[in-house]
Amino acid sequence: MARVPVNPGTVAWAGDNPGIYLRETPDGPWTALGIFFRVLYSAYGRGSAMVILGDPGEASGFPNSRNVCLSTNQEMMRYLVDDFVRRFPSFRDQAGLEAMTWLDVASQASEGDMTDTWSETMHATGCTAEMRWTGLGSPFAVEVGPKDCATGIHDMYSVFMEAQSASITLNGAPLSGQVCERLFFGRKMSTAFMAVSETWVIPTPDEG
Amino acid sequence: MPLASPIHPGQVVWTGENPGILLKEDPDGPFSAIATFFRIYLSPAGRGTVLLLLDSPEQRRQFPDGCNVLLHDNKGLAEYLLDSFISKLPAFAALPACESLSLIDIDESYSEGDPRSCYSEIVKAGSLDIKLTWDGLGTPTALELPTELTGAKENELYTLLIESTKPTIQVNGRQLPGNPVERVQADIKTTTAFLYFSETWIQPA
Repeated sequence: MARVPVNPGTVAWAGDNPGIYLRETPDGPWTALGIFFRVLYSAYGRGSAMVILGDPGEASGFPNSRNVCLSTNQEMMRYLVDDFVRRFPSFRDQAGLEAMTWLDVASQASEGDMTDTWSETMHATGCTAEMRWTGLGSPFAVEVGPKDCATGIHDMYSVFMEAQSASITLNGAPLSGQVCERLFFGRKMSTAFMAVSETWVIPTPDEG
Repeated sequence: MPLASPIHPGQVVWTGENPGILLKEDPDGPFSAIATFFRIYLSPAGRGTVLLLLDSPEQRRQFPDGCNVLLHDNKGLAEYLLDSFISKLPAFAALPACESLSLIDIDESYSEGDPRSCYSEIVKAGSLDIKLTWDGLGTPTALELPTELTGAKENELYTLLIESTKPTIQVNGRQLPGNPVERVQADIKTTTAFLYFSETWIQPA
């Protein structure tokens, strides 16, 4: 399909969606997954949320394991987990995603300049989660259709910045693993990234 | 959709939010009031919030005689946006008010409401208490505009457009006169009041 100035699809949501995926060995399974949402528009309203899977393979939630979703708008976030996160390759079929505990956020904070460092912190009763990105690279724009999109079914526009290192902490304790290298549309890139100014679109049925 | 490669070969210039309201008292006359708001996440001049507010666009009336102001929490960013972006847009380039803007520090700014129905940006700067409201919001549309379909025709643009049919600009409780008028963007009939979210300007490779 040729590029068209007006995407004919239905906008699903727009906002920011940075992530941190950690492994203990380059060929091993994910040992910690974290993804943050700041949603300006969705069919379920605005809000922020953080999904942390510190024990991705365990079918249990916080505090028995480190699998938790903190959000300011649970209805919105359940939609985003069901229609987006569950489809992301790193989160797909993770037992921790199904069993994670859902907590309402009492307060949240962002810190950094987005040129070198950035952090997102969310507090809920008994649980404080922080995602921190450092060594941020130059921003680049991404435009993908369903064939290349992480969900496999959407159009998506975004601005990405690779992070050289990153950490996820839960109640002050760091989750295990390190940032690894991956191929991102033919470019070597780490598994920690800022992704801002995203728009996700449900394509019209005839988009090829 | 789609690019030849998913990674755009161009360079990101800035990204953020850029909603605006342009009002006219007479559909065939000049603009009676203009507000364009910037919440910038990333730019060559850093992050920050900037509001260009013109209560008398056709006059060189500096604050406090008039309210033609550029409010900011990052002066470098305000100057960068004025020079590299605002002054290159046809709607702003020839306005006398833009030649005599007063730069004022923002004390506080925040958004409220819901972009599905009614949304506001509130900016407090010294003695100014400003509320921009976009009511009667429409269905969002994702745009990916080539340079020739943008105002300055220099950079490509990704943005999310949500039009408003009932916008207001309030300055210290006083509503500025005028109504939105029809405009056409990328062959879409829309209005001169709009939310622009997830907006990214890209210098072509």
